Amino acid sequence: MNMKPMKLACLTTALVTTLAMGATAQEFDWKAHSGETVTFLANSNPLGQLLIDHAGEFKELTGIDLVVDGYQEQQMRQRLMTVMNARSDEVDVFMTLPSREGMQFAAAGWYADIAPYLKDNVAADYDPGGLSPALMEAATFDGKVTGVPLNIEGPLLYYRTDIFAECGLEAPSSLEGLPEVAAKLKDCTDATPFASRGLAAATPYTFAGFLHNMGGQYIVDGKSAMCSDESKSALTLYSDLLKEYGPPGVINYSFQQLTALFRAGRAAMSFQSSNEFGPIMDGGDRMNDTGIIPLPPGPGGSHPTVIGWSLAISAHSGNPDAAWYFLQWASSPEMQAKFALAGIAPPRAAVAESDEYKAWLSESPVRQQWQEALTVLADTGTSEIGYPIISNPESRQYIGQAVGDLLLGTVSVDEACATADAALNELIARD
Amino acid sequence: MRVNDEHRGQMAAMSMPALIFTVGMIAFPFIYTIWMSFQLYSSTGQITGSGIGNYQRMVGDDEFWNGIWITFYLYFLSLALQLVLGTGLAMLLFRAKRLPGIVRSLFISPFMMPPVVAGMMWLVILDPSLGAANWILTSLGLPASAWLASPVWVVPTLAMIDTWQWTPYVALIVLGGLQSLPPSVYEAAEIDGASRRAVFWRITLPLLLPTLVTAMVLRSVDLLRFFDLIYITTQGGPSNHSMTLNIYGFRTGFEFFRLGYASALMVTLSVIVLGAVIALNRLRAAVEW
Repeated sequence: MNMKPMKLACLTTALVTTLAMGATAQEFDWKAHSGETVTFLANSNPLGQLLIDHAGEFKELTGIDLVVDGYQEQQMRQRLMTVMNARSDEVDVFMTLPSREGMQFAAAGWYADIAPYLKDNVAADYDPGGLSPALMEAATFDGKVTGVPLNIEGPLLYYRTDIFAECGLEAPSSLEGLPEVAAKLKDCTDATPFASRGLAAATPYTFAGFLHNMGGQYIVDGKSAMCSDESKSALTLYSDLLKEYGPPGVINYSFQQLTALFRAGRAAMSFQSSNEFGPIMDGGDRMNDTGIIPLPPGPGGSHPTVIGWSLAISAHSGNPDAAWYFLQWASSPEMQAKFALAGIAPPRAAVAESDEYKAWLSESPVRQQWQEALTVLADTGTSEIGYPIISNPESRQYIGQAVGDLLLGTVSVDEACATADAALNELIARD
Repeated sequence: MRVNDEHRGQMAAMSMPALIFTVGMIAFPFIYTIWMSFQLYSSTGQITGSGIGNYQRMVGDDEFWNGIWITFYLYFLSLALQLVLGTGLAMLLFRAKRLPGIVRSLFISPFMMPPVVAGMMWLVILDPSLGAANWILTSLGLPASAWLASPVWVVPTLAMIDTWQWTPYVALIVLGGLQSLPPSVYEAAEIDGASRRAVFWRITLPLLLPTLVTAMVLRSVDLLRFFDLIYITTQGGPSNHSMTLNIYGFRTGFEFFRLGYASALMVTLSVIVLGAVIALNRLRAAVEW
């Protein structure tokens, strides 16, 4: 995974391995903090919900009371910001996306460094070295390990094998070939040929793969590069696909609408999160007529987007030791094996290779394709969704805005990229 | 004299909890927000004084002026619809005195619904691909609409949802006003042979004006701060076409962590709301009878 320079990756891997070696020598008492309380600020997504559903097992194992404060993703961040700005100890543990806010939260000093815990305070079977080195690296800022990964995810191309067969089509093999496939689908079926995100703040998650596969980069020589030839090609390709072959109202589409559309059988191709695999397959209608592949490679090669949610300890936590027990329990091989069977792709290679997980995958070809696609993401992906700057969340708004303006047809690609570059260069300068 | 002093002391002591609550929960946050509006917050939470820098930036910020335009467009459209329809609904309820309680309850049920629930419900109904609204339109041979995804129709659609939710509230206020009107005026009009239309325009409406202005004040405060429904349905989109000042300020502060600028935006919005309330209160005083 090309998240950061190779040197940093090696250092991080070495750090985690060293920590693992040091840790296994210690005796570990799961009941050491029995009777204490840990407050968990959760995102009510499928992953957070699973943690909440299994919270009783955590209490049984540790004797620690878990108080859950659950919100939708953005509301969770608002709550976190309020708590952190007040330097309050109300939150001990929170869910975080290092690819989005990691640099910002780390610079603001919101994360506790969990490296000492990984080194000195883990159960014998925890295996810190088994956690995805790439995701551990993505959660490491200035040498501080800010969280443990809970899952691995990224956008995948879900397509309807039955519709493709009826139309005599093969799954697209190149990014530039997508419009041709979509055009043939448009002539052959009533289903929406191609769907993806159009909501401004959510679009970079899916657009980033188009940009990187077209050979584009967000920043070149310290300046925003939305107007490079490659970036303009990516903007044009993505917005034309959605404008010509996307669902009506796609400009407001995020993951909820995409999942509803594909699950209802109304889309022939849908480029959306691997995390939506469970909700899409819910009910079983799509289990036997869906194929899944990573985004096809483009002129710039294959650089699919891959990220993962992490669990972090608040720098202001009044009880970080007990909080660490929750992190360790949630990211343990045992719990991640349980989450994997619920459709949460595991960030531990050992879990992905376990017999139980393999048996679950083998029950359906589409599950195997999903895992194979995720393996490609893990091996070759990049987590650069927005600009690699502290104001990453704000940068996503301007990228999405450029795509949105093109979807509305109110500007040319030159105008859209120039507007984005102006705003993004201001952000880069500010950071 | 001593009794009066003692009485005053007791009164002050009894009102102290309310005073402390008001200062703690309203005055302090507002003063703190004003203070923050003169600071520059970095993305990492560093604070430095910026004088009137945030306000200067606001003047040259296209998004701010877009927010002002969208805020007032939505405000006037929603307020007009709610006053007209609310008055009509109140007249119907006033005349149908024997209307069963369950029907009256149904009339007022939309505004009992949390705006977030209403937003989610309408988001599903208005989905251009899977929603019931377009299914009905196309079944009737009419063209489908993009509703909330259309840059032209997004504000009217939001106004329609808000009107669906809050018209019954306005109707209840107006109904109260109708029930308090003096019957003698109507008896005199009847004796003079005034038509129903003349009675409405020359008697009912002028006498209802104080009540209508009260409804305007109450709805104005909400409409100028319009937030939850937009946040649930469009988040300011498509492409900023429903980005009210409140949504813009919220996103600037809570998503992009620029709290100083967001505070300046919110102080400005507060001044606008306060100005509207003062203007409407003066109007109410002018139409009192």
